[in-house]
Amino acid sequence: MERLKTALSYILIVVIILSLAVVLILSVGSDVPKSFMSFFRGIFGSLYGFSEVLVRATPLILAGLGVSIGFRTGFINIGAEGQIYWGAIAVTTTAYLFPGLPALIAIPLGIVAGFVAGGIWALIPGYLKARFGISEVINTIMFNYIAINILGILVRTVLKDPEYPLPMSSKLPNGFIFPLLMYPTRLHLGFLIALIAMVLVYVLMWKSSPGYKLRVVGLNQRASLCSGIPVKKYIVFSSLLSGGFAGIAGVGEIAGIHYKLLEGFSPGFGYVAIIVALLGKNNPFGVAAAGLGIAALQVGSLSMQRQAGVPASISWIIMGSIVLLILARSTLLTFFAEKEKEKKV
Amino acid sequence: MSTNSILLMKDIDKYFFGKAANDKVSLEVKPGEIHALLGENGAGKTTLMNILYGIYQRDGGRITWKGEEIHFDSPREAIDNRIGMVHQHFMLVPTLTVSQNITLGLKSEGHPFPNRRSIDEKIRELLSAYDVHISPTDKVSSLSVGGEQWVEIIKLLYRNAELLILDEPTAVLTPQETKRLFKVLEKLRQEGHSVIIITHRIPEVLEITDRVTILRDGRNVATVHTSETGSVELSHYMIGRELKTISRTPNTVCPHEEGLGLDELAVEENGRNVLGPLSLSVRKGEMIGIAGVDGNGQKYLAEAVLGVRDCSAGKVRLLGGDASSASIQQRKDMGLGYIAEDRQNDALIMDMDMRENVLLRMYSKREYVKSGFIKYANVDETAKEMIDTYNIKTAGIGKPVRYLSGGNQQKLILARELAGSPPVIIAFHPTRGLDIGATEFVRQKLLERRASGSSILLISADLDEIFALSDRIAVLFHGKIMAVLENDGNVDVNYLGRLMAGEAAESGSDSRRVE
Repeated sequence: MERLKTALSYILIVVIILSLAVVLILSVGSDVPKSFMSFFRGIFGSLYGFSEVLVRATPLILAGLGVSIGFRTGFINIGAEGQIYWGAIAVTTTAYLFPGLPALIAIPLGIVAGFVAGGIWALIPGYLKARFGISEVINTIMFNYIAINILGILVRTVLKDPEYPLPMSSKLPNGFIFPLLMYPTRLHLGFLIALIAMVLVYVLMWKSSPGYKLRVVGLNQRASLCSGIPVKKYIVFSSLLSGGFAGIAGVGEIAGIHYKLLEGFSPGFGYVAIIVALLGKNNPFGVAAAGLGIAALQVGSLSMQRQAGVPASISWIIMGSIVLLILARSTLLTFFAEKEKEKKV
Repeated sequence: MSTNSILLMKDIDKYFFGKAANDKVSLEVKPGEIHALLGENGAGKTTLMNILYGIYQRDGGRITWKGEEIHFDSPREAIDNRIGMVHQHFMLVPTLTVSQNITLGLKSEGHPFPNRRSIDEKIRELLSAYDVHISPTDKVSSLSVGGEQWVEIIKLLYRNAELLILDEPTAVLTPQETKRLFKVLEKLRQEGHSVIIITHRIPEVLEITDRVTILRDGRNVATVHTSETGSVELSHYMIGRELKTISRTPNTVCPHEEGLGLDELAVEENGRNVLGPLSLSVRKGEMIGIAGVDGNGQKYLAEAVLGVRDCSAGKVRLLGGDASSASIQQRKDMGLGYIAEDRQNDALIMDMDMRENVLLRMYSKREYVKSGFIKYANVDETAKEMIDTYNIKTAGIGKPVRYLSGGNQQKLILARELAGSPPVIIAFHPTRGLDIGATEFVRQKLLERRASGSSILLISADLDEIFALSDRIAVLFHGKIMAVLENDGNVDVNYLGRLMAGEAAESGSDSRRVE
């Protein structure tokens, strides 16, 4: 009975979303079947389209994993965007400092640098929360602005490509660039790293003792304290991990897609990562699925825009509605269950 | 019979999530009667009263009040019909005065600008009529717990309640305060009020009530005249069998060695001294009971020994060694078992399953965690052993402990904290909220640990428990130890009560104190 209700509620969500899409498509005067066709053709119609889904999902999964670790421990990390930026800055800087390294050393070094930079960027609000009880929500949001603008300064000054008038760095040395996995598509090593990270996070959180303590701290700080877990240390630790994975997402975007540091390289991956973590219920496999889903939604609607003239903006409206419905689902279910019970009495 | 009853609840049903909390329960109260509603925790007593009071809506049955069938949607309607209830957790605003609390929600004369002075006068009369020494202008925050209860009762009388419902009124009182409460109840009875007392304490039922209705598992067991019954019969009704008396054997293990020592221990909070300085030495194989009204520093004491709270001065000794600067983890590794007062917040992770809750004390042991990885197979095995030895009723070790009953949650904590035979144990309200069966079990386990040489600090608000289990009794008042008494069977309860109320130990009236 419960299962049936759950299944029905998800079917209902799909129906609502589909009708919403139909209404939106009709309201811009496009043809519904053609729009849907082009949506799915965009995702599954070609190898390139499908690879684009994976490319888009890569930063979402990595940053989403980071955010989910924070959420599990009670560190509400809204600052993945800033941490992504620091990962990007870190890999670029490392590449500038050690341009001649071979790929076998350069790529891991870049990833580690990104992890550390993103991690430290999150660790500051983490420490402020643990030590002084200052809200990490506010701090991580504010840190986004700081990180984004530090990058802006860097690409105009020390990291600027002197041979080019625009504010961007010169191309990364070859050793630091992620190899492509499926030429001629843009699918790069980052996607594999995201999958490895997914498994790593699972093992860390569910098989290891530090991960267990992180989860315990997230569920009940008081009991953690009474059992002897140094709660504050683990909050700081979780902020480091959380920012670290987001940092790797930044590395992937620079070393796998753009090959140089530039402003606005992330169209808000760090914010969408929060949605990814929420939809994935802070479970690493769920996060990966949610990341792929949202990436597919975006790729599909871009194709819809090209082929059927429907503005891609509707993908954001749809995404917002999906999140709203899924989060409201369980609350509404209990609400209606109680109503029903009252009627019976 | 029912013609002269003031309240008749007939065949009341109430279901929570499909489970019956009340199953065709009936209750009849006569005018001018003190009626006990007796039963274990979870027997459905409070649920039944909450239905009468309009907090819950019944799923079936009828309620007749003064000959009319009624249905209250909210407590306000119950109060308008002159039924009043004092909850176990008081509903007072601490920053307001006594008189403001009493008139809260009423439209007094002159509303919205009531004449506070004349109201105060009226309340003062009421207070002195019942011999309650509280001023209407006192802030509620300045009152003791017993004082707050008086405010709650006077609040009902001010609203002309004819029927008063008291939910476990003696739980927070010293023996003397209990006596005074009973005197007032006596007076209320003479004035024609009816009183329902919810309780699980049989001696109180026998002392004060006229009739008693016993509930078990949400059903009526019996209704009897108090004068025609006794404690054996009542406990039979209540738990379906006789109460086992717990017997303590003399401490023979290591009567001279110390397990837990407190040396001039003091705790400050916001620069204010809240505990001590106090010294206490618990020997091996000894249980010391900390008696005292709740909120007199028990929590600070337990937390300081565990290490959750830093002590501002003094030392904690564990097994002879100084543990004052040891972390909680180190203290636990030295062999400190901690049975927390608040199961759901301090001891368990409600949304984790049984084995992960067991792991909460084991994660530093090699047997369960090797090079950072948890050996779930070993944890499972230990959890299963605990389920067997402690007879924990669970739907499975993979189910969140949220779904265990309170008694089984406590058994799990006990199993976990007593695993590995810790030489020092803090048992903080170990049986609070448990039914009689579970209570007996917990006490038995503590005595077993004591017999095998553990030093146990038993902090409890239940004096019967302190008397039954401890070798010595230390009385805590305002963070200080008033006296340490040998529990040799001759401790005067009145004397203990005076100590708990902070009356100086050397007040001469007791022969055991020599000046």
